[in-house]
Amino acid sequence: MKKIRVYASSVVMGSGQLMQGQWIKGLLYLGCLAAFVTYLVTTGVTDIIGFFTLGTETADPWLGTKGDDSILMMLRGILAFFIIAAYGLLHAANIRDVKEGEEALAQGKKLPSFWKAFRTFTDRKFYVVALFVPIVGVLILNVLPIVFMILISFTNYGGDIVPPALVDWVGLDNYGKILTLTEIKGTFFRILGWNLVWAVLATFLNYFGGLGLALLLNKKCVKGKTFWRTFPILAYAIPGFITLLGFKFLFSYGGPINYYITMNGGTAVGFLDIDAGIKAKLIGLLVNTWCSVPTSMLLATGILSNMNTDLYDAASIDGAGRWKQFTKITLPFVVFSTTPVIITSFIGNFNNFGVFYFLRGGLYNDGYFLASDTDLLINWLYNLSIDNNYYGIGAAVSLVIFIITSVISLSVYVRSNAYRKEDSFR
Amino acid sequence: MKKKHVSKAAILDAVITYVILIAVCVIFFFPVLWIIASSFSRSGSIYDIKGFFPSSFSMASYVKLFRDTAMYNYPNWLLNTLFVAVFSSLIGTVLVILTAFTISTFQFKSRRLLMKSALVLSMFPSFMGMTAVYLIMVNFNLINQLWSLILIYAAGAPMGYLVQKGYFDTISNTIYEAARIDGATNGMIFRKITLPLAKPMIVYTALTQFAWPWSDFILPKLLLKNKELWTVSVGLASLDETQFSRFAAGSVFISVPIVILYFSLSKFLVAGVSAGAVKE
Repeated sequence: MKKIRVYASSVVMGSGQLMQGQWIKGLLYLGCLAAFVTYLVTTGVTDIIGFFTLGTETADPWLGTKGDDSILMMLRGILAFFIIAAYGLLHAANIRDVKEGEEALAQGKKLPSFWKAFRTFTDRKFYVVALFVPIVGVLILNVLPIVFMILISFTNYGGDIVPPALVDWVGLDNYGKILTLTEIKGTFFRILGWNLVWAVLATFLNYFGGLGLALLLNKKCVKGKTFWRTFPILAYAIPGFITLLGFKFLFSYGGPINYYITMNGGTAVGFLDIDAGIKAKLIGLLVNTWCSVPTSMLLATGILSNMNTDLYDAASIDGAGRWKQFTKITLPFVVFSTTPVIITSFIGNFNNFGVFYFLRGGLYNDGYFLASDTDLLINWLYNLSIDNNYYGIGAAVSLVIFIITSVISLSVYVRSNAYRKEDSFR
Repeated sequence: MKKKHVSKAAILDAVITYVILIAVCVIFFFPVLWIIASSFSRSGSIYDIKGFFPSSFSMASYVKLFRDTAMYNYPNWLLNTLFVAVFSSLIGTVLVILTAFTISTFQFKSRRLLMKSALVLSMFPSFMGMTAVYLIMVNFNLINQLWSLILIYAAGAPMGYLVQKGYFDTISNTIYEAARIDGATNGMIFRKITLPLAKPMIVYTALTQFAWPWSDFILPKLLLKNKELWTVSVGLASLDETQFSRFAAGSVFISVPIVILYFSLSKFLVAGVSAGAVKE
């Protein structure tokens, strides 16, 4: 007798609850099942088939046929999988629920009324209620786009092939192109090389710039710390796009720097021009330092204030000099506490879109496929997918970026002490 | 000073320290000063401002910014930005606080899984998601809508729950236990105990959630093709060298509230940036 209701619910969601006499709950489950089946029959199955074929009928304006829209079909297909997964979770919850009911009945208890059960649920499983909206939001607006992008990287979407033309699955073709097609391959590796150099240099400069500034402000002889700190915080507070656009004007032909150069008899310098070469890279690095040092200064200040100063006194007594104190005490402590931040900062710099977009966006150098010599992978990705509609290759590039950054950060993170000790923190 | 003998080395050290400090302040302040000065310049083009500082000052650029709106409708940009930022902040704050409180307080099965997934998700270049969002919005005809921006900002907010979680971690569990013994439900605990205790954190969250859309560029750039819907960042980026003092005035105007906001938050700033760092 007991098992029958569980079986019933495993087959037809909600039927077990109805048999237990929980009418409202059972009907709600049944309603969900009905909605799900209706969805599958009316659109779900078609959507899933469409996901695999990505459309079979090209639009023909002469015959007036409305063709398939591959991208919409892919999106609807992804949505269908999401809905099926959600149904699966609901179904599992339904079986768990009917089992609990059975156990309670077996012990001779009366099943609670719907409203009482509902209130107990919202209390005991408060986390489900509270996290429902945030998780659904993240799923739809963060996870779905990422899944979509990963899938796009396996299609020939982009270039001439945009709806109404039909898009097809092409397997690893886009990745192959990045690694073999000379034009794209050359650009990819040149940008990757510069991107890595940039990320290392920028992270190094920001980190030690910030640490140095924090140490300087921490010195006993410095009076009026709040006053001195105001200036970097001011730089921190100004929106990034304003800072970057401002620096672009500063180095532009009409800008003050060129004005003084021409005043003194020189010729105006195109600091950020297409042929600026190393100048533009250096300016980018300096501007980025200007923008990011305040952040790392704040961070280092926070960490230094947690530091035990007894160590320094002991070290002074032992005759350790300033430099030695710095390298043996301060540095290990700060580096230990900030490993995760260094990683975040490295990734942030690796994917630093703003600096070169604002300073020299839209330039294409010779020898590069739709990129300039200062562009990072993320800028290239923008040029490819937003400006030039190379969606498939752009998506593949973004996945490569993800793989590079996640491998680097995970390998550093897992090895760091911060991770090993993480379990001891709540 | 109690010490009578200040060694020469100490004086030299102090002098060097102050010289560096002054240099740092000049480096950070000079560009800001330059923009502020330019915003008061009498002429509009960067070519007419000879050198760093204009020769004559006036409020003309600010007047133009709000009056001469035929080509560059700054008041409109400002209203759009304000609309997006306020609603993103309201919705985003609710979501972040709920997420952080729940993750911090409850020990449930999928908790670690959720936290790990958030970590992995945050490793995807944010740009990747944005390109996809752009494509999706284009396909569903959702571009040129301010509320689609709000939705994206608000839904993305819970991903940055770590600062808030750190704050909730410091609230002792014994208060909650006591309340539970008195028969309070979790919902009541959240409303009656946690929210009042977390007021400073809520303020911080709301302000940071406001600051983000207020100064974001790329998302509005992607999703707002219609000039009427532009936010300040997209609008300012469209100004060229001949409109330099308009740019400067517009920048000063949009920066002032955010700078005030950050200074009022300065005691939180350190906690904010070190969210990922290990707490000893």
